[in-house]
Amino acid sequence: MLLLAGRKILYTPVVIKISSYKNYIIKFSFNKILILVSLGCCILSCSKEGDSASASAPMSVSKAGSLSKFAIVGNYLYAVDNNNLYSYNITDPVHPVMTHTTPLSFIVETIYPYNNRLFIGTTAGMFIYSIEDPSAPSKLGEASHVRSCDPVVANDSIAFVTLKGSTRCGPAESGLYIHSIKNVLQPVLIKKYLMNDPEGLGLSGSILYVCCNNNGLKVINVADPANPVEIRTVTGAYFKDVIPYGDLLICYVSTGILLYDISNPTNPSLVKLIAN
Amino acid sequence: MPHFCIYDKTACMRFFLIPALLLFLSSCFTKTSPRPKPYIWKKEWAYKPIYEDAAIAKQIRYIDSALPVKNPGNIYAKDNLIYQLELGRGVHIIDNAVPSQAHRVGFIVINGSSQISIKGNFLYSNSYEDLVVVDVSNGNSVTEAGRVANAYPQGRYEYYYLEPPEAGYYQCPSYDSVVIGWKKDSVYAGCYKN
Repeated sequence: MLLLAGRKILYTPVVIKISSYKNYIIKFSFNKILILVSLGCCILSCSKEGDSASASAPMSVSKAGSLSKFAIVGNYLYAVDNNNLYSYNITDPVHPVMTHTTPLSFIVETIYPYNNRLFIGTTAGMFIYSIEDPSAPSKLGEASHVRSCDPVVANDSIAFVTLKGSTRCGPAESGLYIHSIKNVLQPVLIKKYLMNDPEGLGLSGSILYVCCNNNGLKVINVADPANPVEIRTVTGAYFKDVIPYGDLLICYVSTGILLYDISNPTNPSLVKLIAN
Repeated sequence: MPHFCIYDKTACMRFFLIPALLLFLSSCFTKTSPRPKPYIWKKEWAYKPIYEDAAIAKQIRYIDSALPVKNPGNIYAKDNLIYQLELGRGVHIIDNAVPSQAHRVGFIVINGSSQISIKGNFLYSNSYEDLVVVDVSNGNSVTEAGRVANAYPQGRYEYYYLEPPEAGYYQCPSYDSVVIGWKKDSVYAGCYKN
């Protein structure tokens, strides 16, 4: 929709001689490409693959990153676009049948399923939907906040939300916002933990991994959610999103995918870089 | 009032009217659009859409080799595989059976995609305005298993390749067919990307 705004369709063609301007542009971009290629070669020749440590094989499960707008729970696929939450029955997997459309009055960033709930991170807050009736989600509660971008992960009693204040996202104070959802109808903010540029996040037991783009991957002990303890920051990459997958931490970084062994959850050790 | 207004009416009118007219016309040149500069109606060297017939662009295919990652998106882990979106193009498949030797093995072409989820042998994704179901049970012959046409009407106007890769003026794309890429050409560039 945004793309449509400010667009004009032009009808009257005017023939104008193409001057040397075009040549100039070609030369300029050719130079740019030369520079980029030589830079790229430099970087590639300097990069070193991580030591191959042993990490146990992943379990037989499936798990999405925290930035997803699709979620499958049981026999239902939930998908969001900017304006709607669509519920599909996929009991017959090759013939999805739409059972419900829930209009959403806010821009949806992510959708995270947990037990009988859908946690929907939007630019206006975190919304919790019940999927007791999986064919038609119904809204239970919300934790609204100022406009921002915000993925969510949750367990039975706590929801972790990262808010990113930026020109694109809104004026929020960037950080990890921890909500108690013991009363799911009324989430209560119990801790605001400020950090720079947080994005995707993943929870493994009492350890929370928060991707902070250029500021690294934060490893945070959240055994006491009201008092999160930052244990370390893994640096050296631009971290976007993360999936804790058994003893393996799968990180989506700007240069590829990084695999860490987290058999010691507080001390991720690099196993492999799958470079772009 | 200038003294010549008393004996020369024409000069007097010129004196007042011409500046007034200029002032009036100048309002035509003020910036009213969000464009960074007023748009000048001429051909220029800018991005032009590369179109593909929608029926062809929407075909699901499998490429049995690793492709480089250009515009990465969400990740998804299932069993010994990791899937990663290539925005607007499809899904990279990574064999993670032995993490220290994990590597890309193939690519599922799903043009217009931005999301994935998996259940059992079936991968669900969006392809422009459609919801597609892809059978991934056999690594070597990934096929389309189902499709819900027009599941996300918005998807027709919101997909990765609908805008060129760089900021600046570009030729406005048509919505009759789908855009699968951009190239520079001498075009009337009436659209602008910030």
